[in-house]
Amino acid sequence: MNVAQQLINGLALASGYACVAIGWTVLLGAARLVNFAHGQLYMLGAFVAWAAMHRAGLPYWASIPVAVAAVGLLGAAMQRLMGRLMLEHNLTSLMIVTLGFGYVFQGAAARLFGGEPQTLASPLARGTIRMGELWLSPQDLLVFGVTAALFALIWFVLEKTRVGATVRAVAEDPKLAQLFGIDASLVYLGVFVFEAATVAFAAALVAPRSPILTSMGFDEVILTFVVVVLGGVGSVLGTLAASLGLGLFTAFFGALVSPAYTTAAAFAVVLAVLVLRPGGLAAR
Amino acid sequence: MTSPAVLACRGLGARYGASTALADVTLEVGASQMVGVVGANGAGKSTLVNALAGWSRGRPVTTGEVWLDGEPMAGVSAHERARRGLVLVPEGKGVFQELTVEENLGLVRPVADPAGRHVWTRDDVLGLFPRLGERRRHRGGALSGGERQMLALARALLAAPRVLVLDEPSIGLAPRLVLDLLVTVRRLVDRGLSVLLVEQNVRAAFEVVDRVFLLERGRVVGHGATDAMRGDPRIVEAYLGALVP
Repeated sequence: MNVAQQLINGLALASGYACVAIGWTVLLGAARLVNFAHGQLYMLGAFVAWAAMHRAGLPYWASIPVAVAAVGLLGAAMQRLMGRLMLEHNLTSLMIVTLGFGYVFQGAAARLFGGEPQTLASPLARGTIRMGELWLSPQDLLVFGVTAALFALIWFVLEKTRVGATVRAVAEDPKLAQLFGIDASLVYLGVFVFEAATVAFAAALVAPRSPILTSMGFDEVILTFVVVVLGGVGSVLGTLAASLGLGLFTAFFGALVSPAYTTAAAFAVVLAVLVLRPGGLAAR
Repeated sequence: MTSPAVLACRGLGARYGASTALADVTLEVGASQMVGVVGANGAGKSTLVNALAGWSRGRPVTTGEVWLDGEPMAGVSAHERARRGLVLVPEGKGVFQELTVEENLGLVRPVADPAGRHVWTRDDVLGLFPRLGERRRHRGGALSGGERQMLALARALLAAPRVLVLDEPSIGLAPRLVLDLLVTVRRLVDRGLSVLLVEQNVRAAFEVVDRVFLLERGRVVGHGATDAMRGDPRIVEAYLGALVP
């Protein structure tokens, strides 16, 4: 086993997990809301980008903002339909309703885009960067760089700006926030649109690694849930650390033991961590 | 209705399902006036101030009319009323526990049109409550009860209130702190602020307010100038007792 190559593979996987989880980090971590249609929004992001390329003839780079805008608008529509559940922090109903949205999106996508596997072709996914025996794709490097920059930006906005304090205030007590003159429903709209738009952005960057199907999404939402909870709800840096740990574990376990058991083994580690540290890695 | 009052309501009512919490309440708070609402537990005091602010943690059905500086508040949301200067400090938890003192104060947006508003700067409120300056990096949840009330009051002042509505600010405070806090508020009233004070500590409230409304089972059963109400037998019997000569 080439340890350095597995490190690179692990970092590439980790940055993909983290990139897909960014929106949820803010949604669950900062605003304490859930969206179990996250995986289907990821699928839609990938397919809208694919359709923009193959049906509208746009280049890959132009398909990204199309996917971000379309899925962001869908997020806004979802938020408007669930506004009251959010204001009352009714997480159980939100979970059920967003799961329902996920199934509706999946059915609609199958109707719109068909059931065949497709490829979202990025010009960077084909090339290879070689350093001696080590290699990675330019797309992996792009995902890594963009994810790092996005996490740094989100941490800064949430912790150091008035907008971030407003989001955290609404997360803690949306009713009290109203007495501070804060329109909590507008904050929820912003957070939901951000979540939907960033998962579409992540899909446009991460999906070129493998074929895309309208039935995908479940793995993405579970992985996202795992890294956000494992990192510690409320911690942006915890999510980043959990993604890194999970990515490296998956890469090394796959190389040392067997790729067939990596998911089961990863969940065993997650269970162990949460038994030992119920608040996640970032728990004090 | 055109009213000279800064805050006024007429026929204000609230019910939760079949249970009536507030019925037919009419009151006014004039400019630079401090009005007290007193009553026993469950009399409807908090329901009254919440209905004025258009705010509640439950889902009451409210009726009646509210005016802020003569402007009707029907259909105006709680956050918009706060922005327009109807500033409520709710009972108990009036600050964010997970945000620092600085962040709590920073949430308040500067007022675009300060006409008719009592504008306080950050320096003003820290001058009023120097302890908050020393604790500015501490989270709301790490403050003492008194410090939390100072912070709640400080953020309310930063919101440039036309009228400040305080719901039981004395809860959880030591008796000496209660009077300190109410005297501080009274000084603000003397500088021009209008205040509606709901207070269970009736003796302390009578030291600072100009007018008193007595609430029983959701209805106003008596009101008048503080000195006149001091002799009201219901007030004497239930709240002031031996203190009245």
